[in-house]
Amino acid sequence: MTIDHVLTLLLAVPAVGLLPLYVFRNDPRSVKQVAIVTTLVELALSLVMLAQFHAGEAGFQLVEDASWLPSLGIRYLVGVDGISVLLVPMTTLLTFISVLYSSGGVIKDRIASFMGAFLVLEIGMVGVFVSLDLFLFYVMFELMLVPMYLIIGIWGGPRRIYSTLKFVIFTLAGSLLMLVAIVAVWLMSGDEGSRTLSLPELLASRGRFSAEFQFWVFLAFGLAFAIKLPMVPFHTWLPDAHVEAPTAGSIILAGVLLKAGGYGFLRFALPLFPVGTQLWLPVIIVLSVIAILYGAAVSTVQKDLKKLVAYSSVAHMGFVTLGIFVLNAQGGVGAVLQMLNHGFVTGALFLFVGIQYERTHRRLIADLGGLANRWPLYTTFFGIFVLASLGLPGLSGFVGEFLVLLGTFKFSGVPLGGLFWGPAAALGVILAAVYLLWMFQRVMYGPVREAYRNLPDLSPLEVACAVPLLVLTVLLGVFPQPAIAIIEPSLQQVLRLATDPGFQVAFK
Amino acid sequence: MRTFVDAIVPILPEVIVTITACVVLIADGLLPPSQRRLVLPALTVVGLVLAFLGGPLAPPSGQYFGGYVQVDTFTTFFRAVFILLAAFATLVAPSYLERRGIAPGEFYATLCFSTVGAMTIALSTDLITLFIGLELMTIPVYVLAGMQRRDRFANEAALKYFLLGAFSSALLVYGFAWLYGVSGSTRYLDVATELQRTGIANPATIVALALVTVGLGFKAAVVPFHQWTPDAYDGAPTPATAFMSVAPKAAAFAAILRVLFIGLAPLAVDWSAVFAVLAAVTMTGGNIVALAQTNTKRMLAYSSIAHTGYILAAVAASAAGPSATAAVLFYVFAYGVMNLGAFACLLYFDTQGSRGATLDELNGFARRQPLGAFAFFVFLISLTGIPPTVGFVAKVLVIVPVLNAGYAWLAVIIALNAVLAAFYYLRVVVHMYMYDPDTGAPMVVNTRLLSAALGISAVATVVLGVLPNSLYEWALQAANPLLP
Repeated sequence: MTIDHVLTLLLAVPAVGLLPLYVFRNDPRSVKQVAIVTTLVELALSLVMLAQFHAGEAGFQLVEDASWLPSLGIRYLVGVDGISVLLVPMTTLLTFISVLYSSGGVIKDRIASFMGAFLVLEIGMVGVFVSLDLFLFYVMFELMLVPMYLIIGIWGGPRRIYSTLKFVIFTLAGSLLMLVAIVAVWLMSGDEGSRTLSLPELLASRGRFSAEFQFWVFLAFGLAFAIKLPMVPFHTWLPDAHVEAPTAGSIILAGVLLKAGGYGFLRFALPLFPVGTQLWLPVIIVLSVIAILYGAAVSTVQKDLKKLVAYSSVAHMGFVTLGIFVLNAQGGVGAVLQMLNHGFVTGALFLFVGIQYERTHRRLIADLGGLANRWPLYTTFFGIFVLASLGLPGLSGFVGEFLVLLGTFKFSGVPLGGLFWGPAAALGVILAAVYLLWMFQRVMYGPVREAYRNLPDLSPLEVACAVPLLVLTVLLGVFPQPAIAIIEPSLQQVLRLATDPGFQVAFK
Repeated sequence: MRTFVDAIVPILPEVIVTITACVVLIADGLLPPSQRRLVLPALTVVGLVLAFLGGPLAPPSGQYFGGYVQVDTFTTFFRAVFILLAAFATLVAPSYLERRGIAPGEFYATLCFSTVGAMTIALSTDLITLFIGLELMTIPVYVLAGMQRRDRFANEAALKYFLLGAFSSALLVYGFAWLYGVSGSTRYLDVATELQRTGIANPATIVALALVTVGLGFKAAVVPFHQWTPDAYDGAPTPATAFMSVAPKAAAFAAILRVLFIGLAPLAVDWSAVFAVLAAVTMTGGNIVALAQTNTKRMLAYSSIAHTGYILAAVAASAAGPSATAAVLFYVFAYGVMNLGAFACLLYFDTQGSRGATLDELNGFARRQPLGAFAFFVFLISLTGIPPTVGFVAKVLVIVPVLNAGYAWLAVIIALNAVLAAFYYLRVVVHMYMYDPDTGAPMVVNTRLLSAALGISAVATVVLGVLPNSLYEWALQAANPLLP
């Protein structure tokens, strides 16, 4: 099946869904149905989009181009390549699962607004991955911010207001500096009247960006993406936001929003500013390895289950930046796979922590225990996702991390060399096994508490939410080749642009 | 007769607004009190709409009244801005005026007179026309601020505003006198020709420049000449505050553009550096003080100072050419829509004995008045500068000339200020959406007209944010007459 303008439709469907949502706003049943149908249609549409994509080609496909702000040369330019084409269905799937799970009764207050926020959020998330004009990308990047602010702030836990303000202020601080950098890029892109922000044209005119300019602009872009990702030391908003967010919010926050940072590096920062990349690369690699080790170490000592998963995200995203900045195909493909894997697996972990919390109303690991005896189904699912998260071969976590480590070992363009940073990062994989298995043991095994004795196992709705994630985790783990075949050509293209020998001009 | 008509046609919109004001005053005397409440605002809006439509009937451009008045695309732009702002303020006022026992006839007529003054500023080609327009605009606003005669805060507001306003007018007119002394003319173009010849070297020129900058700085509420703003905004009747916070400011920028970009254009290198510093101080000062406010009306008052700073940044970037002027115009328009809307949202909280609204009074507003709260939310997001709103586009358009003129440090300060502003704007959202309503909190009734007006401007805020091109094109056109 071919659908024309499929990317525009992907951006339009959630917006269209807002209308019936408003009409039926006082009827929770209809609200849930509208939200589920809308996100399901969106998911189906994204799969059609994936089917229309020709794997093995490097360039942008399904491109749509229209004039938007002609007096500034700004265009509505959307398209996908091998890097983004898999992130879009991941987004629509996680949104669908979040909406499905939230319609099961966890959200009782103002459900129409809740679902509305998710639909707006979905526009922003899909938009980030398909935008090929920097202005459009920025608009979409910010469009993700406001709904998440409301989702955490209205439907979150006791410290939700502190957490959501922290989340917004951190993110805005980064992105507004990026906005200044975007305007600077626009000004440098050409002479009066021929300026542009469309990625293909910018790539053609990037020779105009001097080394000093690239240094500063990369810093501004990098700061925005590093905060979103988040990289150590900009990660402090993440544990707060995750702990207070409602389950669906956590799933999307970890599953999709963090990827916007990694994706931003690959899509814009690396190809547009090769000199900037070279200059900042050592800093980012060191910070990535620190994130991997620090995230793992902090996870180990967490008393709160949700915080543990949140800090493990910091470690996992460290692999993403590490893979991107070693600038070779193994590392890059591994980074993209790690983004997908982290979306499915950490999304699932937050889902299961949420399911557990709904029943026990406890998040402290010390208050839990022995759940395996009562909840066989829950234990099986949760166990598989925990194993995937620690990188067990055969599940999705392994492929990405392994490729990233391989790429790091081969990389020499950093002080001390890949043979130092590779093993250092590998230590993080071992630590992951320690904190995840220890957590699993304390939560699931041991004597069961009296109060939890009669709590029910997974409901059919919860199983329905978990199964697609489980299938994808296993599929990506056992059979990653189709995904790699889609990602690799486009990634090679990005690397060629980022390591263009014409841009190795030393910066003094 | 023929010559009279020829003379009047170019300023048809101004004439219509003046007639509207008179008609409202007469109707106020003739109508029975029960009908005044709705007939008078209806008359005002009809008059303003006629004035709006009268704009295109006037000859497209040229100089009139012996060269004291000029009609061009710049004039047309500001005419539309002022008429729209006045019409909006009229629409949200009726139930407030009734609650507060303010005579509606006086209110609407004064509003119209002030609008004529603002429009005159945009027509000016001469320091004298400019000064007449400025006084015609501000004197009615002093009256508007003090219209609640029995309220001591309103008295304070009116008196403070009047004293500082008179003071700044004196400085300004003194500066004009020096300018006349230096150049021998009050025409902007003649002043520019003379300054082109003499440059900044003459000490008298420096005195003139300083006095004009300070005088206009007072009118636009530039830090450190802003002290009158919070008290005046706070004490005035809220619909008047909504108008006061945008129209006189827009007019002040119209004056700044006309005087600086034409009359003082030869000295642009000298004043633009001063304005860059003033812009940075203004936005930072306004935002930092706004952070500490717990009363929303005062918070918005201080935040309006910060917005003056953003607009001033574009003024300072005049070296970037038309994109700087267009950015000022676009920002003024965007600011008008969103700030008027935000102030008007406070009308929902105007209950007996309340002044503005404390943050606590906003608690749970989203539950009690979902659409009103959502409109407020949209205005706040836009004031913060988050897409997809017109406030975001306005900020981008300001950053463009600022970077282009080489003020990278100022662009970074703008970005950091937007983060500061996000903190206090979003705190309002926190109170509206994330706290439960206090039981027994008083609620304003009869808000249909208000909600309709807010709905329209909230939609405009988003639509202009998504499709800003035609507004920007219009601003670029309006910037044309200011090019050398």
